[in-house]
Amino acid sequence: MSIQYWRIRDRYYRLIGSKCADCGDEFFPPVYRCKGCGSEHVMDREMPKTGRIMTYTVLHEPLPGFEAQTPLYLAVVKLDNGARILTQIVDSPEDSVKTGAKVRATVRRAMVDGDSGQIIYGYKFIVSS
Amino acid sequence: MPRSKVYVNSIGMTTIADHWEYSILDMAVEASRGALRGFGKKKPDQIIVGNMFSAVGAHQEHLGAMLADGLGLSGSPAFKVESACSSGGTAFNVGYNLVRSGAIDSALVVGVEKMRDLEPEDVSQALAMAESAEYTQFVGATFAALNGLLARYYMEQMDVSRDELSSIPVIDHSNAVTAAHAQFRKAITPEVVSRSAMISDPLRLFDCAPVGDGAAAVLLVNDRAASGTKRKMAEVLGGRIATNEFSLYEREDMLDFKSTHLAFRGAMEDAGLAPSKISLAELHDAFSVVGALSLEAMGYSKRGHASKDARAGKYGRGSELPINTFGGLKARGHPVGATGVYQIAEAYLQLTGQAGENQVEGAEYAVTQNVGGVDTTAAVHVFGRAS
Repeated sequence: MSIQYWRIRDRYYRLIGSKCADCGDEFFPPVYRCKGCGSEHVMDREMPKTGRIMTYTVLHEPLPGFEAQTPLYLAVVKLDNGARILTQIVDSPEDSVKTGAKVRATVRRAMVDGDSGQIIYGYKFIVSS
Repeated sequence: MPRSKVYVNSIGMTTIADHWEYSILDMAVEASRGALRGFGKKKPDQIIVGNMFSAVGAHQEHLGAMLADGLGLSGSPAFKVESACSSGGTAFNVGYNLVRSGAIDSALVVGVEKMRDLEPEDVSQALAMAESAEYTQFVGATFAALNGLLARYYMEQMDVSRDELSSIPVIDHSNAVTAAHAQFRKAITPEVVSRSAMISDPLRLFDCAPVGDGAAAVLLVNDRAASGTKRKMAEVLGGRIATNEFSLYEREDMLDFKSTHLAFRGAMEDAGLAPSKISLAELHDAFSVVGALSLEAMGYSKRGHASKDARAGKYGRGSELPINTFGGLKARGHPVGATGVYQIAEAYLQLTGQAGENQVEGAEYAVTQNVGGVDTTAAVHVFGRAS
């Protein structure tokens, strides 16, 4: 399974998504075709590292492998370029996690791929205000 | 070439429960036998199995051939259809279109899922396969988490209260009390929902469909295959599948259930019916918020109003549009790949006057809505009494 995640490590480490060459819309995760205008002229684009929480949840029974992080704070964040990303919120006081809160990206340990697998790193967000 | 009329000739189903003593094949055979009993010595032209995760739940694929052999029908064409939790409704749509096109005269459609053999966290993992491995599972999000994000957004944007959100689970449990095949036959109050364990804030245990094992089967026929029968049948008047952008968070408007809207509109066009003609609706309310947004996508409630309408009595028994007449996903149960076929079997029972204590008086038309993902795939079908 590790290869599946290794393949897209840049997307995880640097938030590489897509930008439409025709209309300028930006997306994360990356797209094959612009969801705005339908153009196939999309290219890789590093996303801004700041945005705001659109909605969040506190998950008490996460997927296997995430038990140590329970409860898991998850949010849909609208980045400053308009792209929407699903992410964990970490290192933030409980009462700071709310709709509209400003957040910034960081890189953290995301998951361990099995008992002898590699440690996979990825993006998480921190409340910044 | 004129298209054939298509009918649901007969149905079969298991109860939805912890079927520790039965394998996935045991359950599929039992449900299939129920449906085939209404076909005498004739054999269906095609077998189609709807199932989501037998590879994980039972280390088993190739369910089509396996079931055909189990039924003594080896030689018959058979295959499995998968579209996450809408696998059952999608399998039915394939069978419906094959019969309608004239390519075949009959099809046995079977939905089956074995969930309880797995540990709860492994069920979560299996269900999460309906979402992106690389961007949704990667952050630890379960299906409940996605629906928790959606529920908070819905409540905040549309000013929906906790007790309003609870209204559809309350209707479900009320209807399941007299439903023989339902998993949880016990009425609840909004307080039961609001005091139940927190799963993914704001969603609590009683906002979420349970985990269970089950199988349901329907036999589809055209006029030729139905000849000589005196059975009461339901006619399939229309049915469509539609999709939405894959992941919830990629959508410009998370509250717009586009796939349900498109599939419903198409199915009603096929049927040539106005939505107001529908006598009852079997909804895919895997989570309370999903039931509400589905009713809004079908146009039965205004945006933001479905839970409020349900609380005001709009969708209960005896209302103009009773929903989830045997308990819906919350109380009848949700053995994922089988659910869509259970809904159709329930529509059949209503339209043929065999719904017992759950009968909707004078039921003429029924709609079923089966969804995979968070409105990612929708399979909607419309049924009428066979004249």
